[in-house]
Amino acid sequence: MDPMTFSIIRHRLFRIVDEAVITLKHVSGSAITNEGHDLMVSLYRADGSLLMGGVGFLHHLTSAAEACKAIIRRFDGDIGEGDVFLLNDPYTAALHTSDIYLVSPIHVEGRLVAWSACFVHVTDIGAVNPGGFAPQAPDIFSEGFSSPGLRLVRGGEICRDVLDTILNMVRSPEMVSLDLRSMIACNNVARDRMQALFRKYGAQTVDAACATLIEQSEQLFRARLRELPDGSWQSRQYLDVNGTTARVVLTMTKTDDRLVFDFTGSDPQSAFSINCTKWASLGGLFAPLFPLLCYDITWNEGVIRPVTMIAPEGSIVNCTRPAPVSVATVGAIQSVNNAACTTIGKMLAASDRYRDEATAVWHANHFAIFKFGRNQRGGYSIGILTETFAGAGGARSFADGVEIGGEIPNPISRMANVETVEASFPVRYLFRRRAIDSGGPGQYRGGTGGEMALVPHKAPDGGIDYVISGKGTRHPMSEGLAGGWPGAPNAYVWVHAPEGGDGAPVVASDGLAALEGDHQRVSWGVYPLRGRDALYVRWNGGGGWGDPVTRDPQAVADDVAAGLVSPGAALAIYGVALDGAGGPDAPGTERRRAAIRAERLEQEAAQ
Amino acid sequence: MTPAADVTYLVATDVGGTCTDTIVFGSDGAIHIGKALSTPPAFADGVLNSIASAAGPMGLTLEALLARTHLFIHGSTVVDNTVLTRDGARTGLITTAGFEDTLHVTRGAYGRWSGLTEDRIKHPVKTDRAPALALRDHVMGVPERVDCDGDVVLPLDEAAVERAVRHLVAGKGVQAIAVSFLWSFLNPAHEARVRDIIARVAPGTYVTLSSDIAPVPGEYERTSTAVINAYAGEITRSYLTSLQSLLADRGYRGATMVMQGYGGLLPASEAAARAVGMIECGPAAGVIGAKFLGDLMGDRDVIAADMGGTTFKVGVIQDSLLEYAREPMVDRFHYIAPKIEVVSIGAGGGSIVSVDPRTRLPRVGPRSAGATPGPICYGQGGDEPTLTDVMLMIGYMDPGHFLGGSITLDRDRTERLFAQKVADPLGLSPTEAAIGIYRIASAQITDLIREITVERGLDPRDFVLHAFGGTCGMLAAAFGEELSVRRVVIPYTASVNCAFGLVSADIAHEYSVTRTLPAATPAATLNALFADMETRARAQLEAEGVPPDRMRMEWSADLRYTRQVHEVTTPVSAATPLTEDGMRRLVDDFEALYERKYGKGSAYREAGIEMTMFRLTARGLMPRPRLPETPEGAPDATPALMGTRPIFDGASGGMVPGRIYDFTRLQPGMELSGPAVIHTPITTIALHTGHHARMDRWRNIVVEYGQ
Amino acid sequence: MTGTAPTTDRHISPAVALRGTGAAARHVCTACGGDLGPADRPWKDHARCREIALHLAGGPAYDTGEREVFLRQFCCPGCATLLDTETAMAGDPWLTDRRAG
Repeated sequence: MDPMTFSIIRHRLFRIVDEAVITLKHVSGSAITNEGHDLMVSLYRADGSLLMGGVGFLHHLTSAAEACKAIIRRFDGDIGEGDVFLLNDPYTAALHTSDIYLVSPIHVEGRLVAWSACFVHVTDIGAVNPGGFAPQAPDIFSEGFSSPGLRLVRGGEICRDVLDTILNMVRSPEMVSLDLRSMIACNNVARDRMQALFRKYGAQTVDAACATLIEQSEQLFRARLRELPDGSWQSRQYLDVNGTTARVVLTMTKTDDRLVFDFTGSDPQSAFSINCTKWASLGGLFAPLFPLLCYDITWNEGVIRPVTMIAPEGSIVNCTRPAPVSVATVGAIQSVNNAACTTIGKMLAASDRYRDEATAVWHANHFAIFKFGRNQRGGYSIGILTETFAGAGGARSFADGVEIGGEIPNPISRMANVETVEASFPVRYLFRRRAIDSGGPGQYRGGTGGEMALVPHKAPDGGIDYVISGKGTRHPMSEGLAGGWPGAPNAYVWVHAPEGGDGAPVVASDGLAALEGDHQRVSWGVYPLRGRDALYVRWNGGGGWGDPVTRDPQAVADDVAAGLVSPGAALAIYGVALDGAGGPDAPGTERRRAAIRAERLEQEAAQ
Repeated sequence: MTPAADVTYLVATDVGGTCTDTIVFGSDGAIHIGKALSTPPAFADGVLNSIASAAGPMGLTLEALLARTHLFIHGSTVVDNTVLTRDGARTGLITTAGFEDTLHVTRGAYGRWSGLTEDRIKHPVKTDRAPALALRDHVMGVPERVDCDGDVVLPLDEAAVERAVRHLVAGKGVQAIAVSFLWSFLNPAHEARVRDIIARVAPGTYVTLSSDIAPVPGEYERTSTAVINAYAGEITRSYLTSLQSLLADRGYRGATMVMQGYGGLLPASEAAARAVGMIECGPAAGVIGAKFLGDLMGDRDVIAADMGGTTFKVGVIQDSLLEYAREPMVDRFHYIAPKIEVVSIGAGGGSIVSVDPRTRLPRVGPRSAGATPGPICYGQGGDEPTLTDVMLMIGYMDPGHFLGGSITLDRDRTERLFAQKVADPLGLSPTEAAIGIYRIASAQITDLIREITVERGLDPRDFVLHAFGGTCGMLAAAFGEELSVRRVVIPYTASVNCAFGLVSADIAHEYSVTRTLPAATPAATLNALFADMETRARAQLEAEGVPPDRMRMEWSADLRYTRQVHEVTTPVSAATPLTEDGMRRLVDDFEALYERKYGKGSAYREAGIEMTMFRLTARGLMPRPRLPETPEGAPDATPALMGTRPIFDGASGGMVPGRIYDFTRLQPGMELSGPAVIHTPITTIALHTGHHARMDRWRNIVVEYGQ
Repeated sequence: MTGTAPTTDRHISPAVALRGTGAAARHVCTACGGDLGPADRPWKDHARCREIALHLAGGPAYDTGEREVFLRQFCCPGCATLLDTETAMAGDPWLTDRRAG
């Protein structure tokens, strides 16, 4: 087709998604949508295939495509102009119940021409625990309301009975109502703009442009794959929950212009809600694939076609009903993200041409902590600790990872200011900063994660409670590349204050070590933060790249001066000795590095 | 002809990235324009050159003009430039112990992706933060703590402060120190105490307190603001001081006012203490100029679009109100200061046109040929086709009469290289390809403006589009039509719009108090808050010589729905001090504004409404210059017709014979219709079939659509 | 694919590559060129593997209170360069990366 018209239509499709995202954020007004950017908007063709994915939580792009297809199957022959459908059943297409999809058919002159879909993480879904993540749920039935497809709007008119029924099942009906309204508004904008596009250029032209766009992405992606080496690369992730450990094992095989992601060898589904369904696994592997392999290719169906996934049924990455899945997005899905990031990174790193596109795993482990309780103004507050969106960058072939630099599956995110949290919750931070030695050592170091401690402050009930769906406290999850080490794991510590003090601690310059009292590791369930106790959280750094003893000694000395690496780790892991002024001591470093190398050779070859 | 000796002048000079523009208003009603290249880092030289270039055609020397000048108004990129070139002071930061990383961590990924285009955001492996303006080992934490009510939880450790200051100044050699503690905007005592200690321990060190420069919540942005101000503070102060003394040396005896990013003026001495206030004051002045013109022409809703060689900038004026940026940035650093929102993207006449080798699709930008080597047709070494070259190919530029004939455009070479690099790979004729590129550029600008207006809950169809800059006129009528704006105006002062904006501004001081109060708060509580600010404001304006009858106090408050993140600055429309009725009106106004901005159904009354910040804008009204007016005469534009040549016409989709007009021979009242182009001394205005242009009584070109 | 033999190393990772063709193809350490076994066997079989409990390997930041988690380090037997790392529970198999051709 005419390349000029095609370029104009392509650009307009991008902008339509942008405008819909803006609308979603505007109407919603919630912190998780606006600060965490925990959202997604995308456009689909008439058959539900992905046409244009926007920047958001990327593991939703393929799942929402499946949601469109599920609605098409379920409502075939009864899909009207101005309808909006809701779907949040993980066994049909969704990732977990609290990420609700609203999908809208787009009609032009009575004909269905496209779909738009979006999601936000709604404030509550009526699960056994508040906030959507339900560590105490034994099965899907305890994880709140879930629908495999239901009509929320008919012909532009909201179905009041349906809406009221949903709102009747959740804890914060006003907030959830606003969440749903924001998604309806978002889909309306996408529909209006798409209709205008079809009217201006004609259905035939736009359809042809959409088909071309998908074909073009497929051709470009296949061409890129052909430039990359054939081979297979592996990754293994451990998820530890409540004393149990589950493995996600991935073998990625690239042959010519095809990629196969095979999860054979992964553990059976867990009794805990970290499982994910196959649609979630598929989304989980595409979330890093889009930005790592298709950073300059339009994210659509064309990228999906060359990819095959094998996920054994009944495993943690393809669980069967009624296994609980509410923690999936920060559980098995995130492990799939990480494993895919590693295998893709290994493949890129094996290519001379694409080595600089490889990255060790970023922020591998969300800590989903929802605080709830009465606040200092007497109201009720509930909300996620947004530090979980702060992340950490993985090391690259040319540079260190970005300290507290975010994550790959959600390219746009940020954390709230300390003052914002202290204004809305009865807590006080003792510190919030980069965590020493958290970045995976390597020739290029993984970006550091962070650490913080909270105490109750002016709390009318003496404190608050929190739901924690933590994992990754026993196993580092952000794998390194090319000999780089993984980033240090997460830590969650309940500091029980000793008897007889007066008031919660005020300063703790030496971090966790400075906090007196019993230190109890916690990771899963509902806990109090009361009295003079403290909650300490450390989040993982990114994986490293290359052999740590080849890191520039001056860079190590700079890291020590900046408080990012301890003198002990500098010597033990990087083999860098420091002089009195804090600079690298060249002879001492040479001796220490020689000793490390000698230690490595002491044992016999292992087989 | 030399003006009469009793004429006095108002001189305004805006330093931009490329050019330094001057506009001179005489008390005789005449307007004079000057232009010179900017001269970084010695910007003051460019200022004098620019004023001299205006004085020359007036028959005056620089000294003679300055001697008759009663007021000099100035806008400058000195602060932006200091940050962009990393040329500021070695800066230290003193902050609350335990939170030393706040500046460098940038609220997580925020500082890594903000300021990047979407293409780059989608490619995270190649993204990093910009290195901070204060090195990490120039950050010192000291024990102290204030809580969310402003109560002291831990008193300031003054001995630790003293050690920190000595370490930074003597040990690290810092020249400037920013001080930023948690919750200091509620209780600034600890920060103030640190300033005293620095004055004692290390006198002469430049100090910025976060509670002075940005007394608002959000420690990351507040700290970043204090650091930027400390970093650029000394350079700004010495720049303004030396400029004033240079002007004094040339005989200037009047006052110097300096433009602020929020669109108001400050006396130079005060501007010198608030470097962050000057960031992006030029583009802000451009919007102020558009507003002034819009008010004059009776248009309260204006989209101001400026497209030059490298950037495309858009500001929005709604209901005659300016819009402030929510998350302003300089380079890639966040700061908080009231600043008029101007969205800027890298698209201009110099944007390089190419064909993506993988997709065989045409691209406009993102690379730019800039001023050097520039477009191919300028013949200054450029060999990559640019948007400007496309404009030549489709007949919008006259090879023989560009910039008053000072450059002859090389059409043959342009066509040859364009064919080779763009048309042939696309399999199109050079003309077809050029037309296609023009359509793409126009469509992309349409998309951008639509997105900007949608972001504000606005509909472009309600707006008048003002087009500024050398490239905008060739596209404005086309994208204006696709956006369905009411009309397009290419102002007479378009070439020096930012300088024009300087003289459209008032003295303005911004005051604010942060406090969270329910909407049902008694009026007396608010009145007390504002009374305190007004007392300070009146004293300030009086000290600047503003008589009481020219003072204006504008109240506003930030309101939001509880548990929602969007705060809306709502002007107080009722009489002040407020009554209980006035309070209710404020809340009603907020709800109306909220729905207008965030869309129908976004209001969230059930949650309750709260106020979070109270703002006072104190204005000292400046005399407005009068634009010369000429009554509109006969509509026949034939006297300005230069001839015809083939030009692109959007309606027919191809090249058609177009009438060519000379702007300098047009008279108010003359009308003409597309297909046509009007050559002005700095740009070309392109009109397609169905575009009807008229010169109005201020010599603006007004384009309307229809039959 | 052309019929001619690849003349350059084909990387499996930045640290390990295949050199030579057909039955003669061998894994090599890219730092020193040292041999890491034939192409049809996992290269890790010919590397030195050290498996160290994580809390002993990495210092306090890696001390999770567990003793059953290990850091495996695979090193070149010639130059002792660290070629790859894995975290593992005791007894879990080594991860295998291979290149086809």
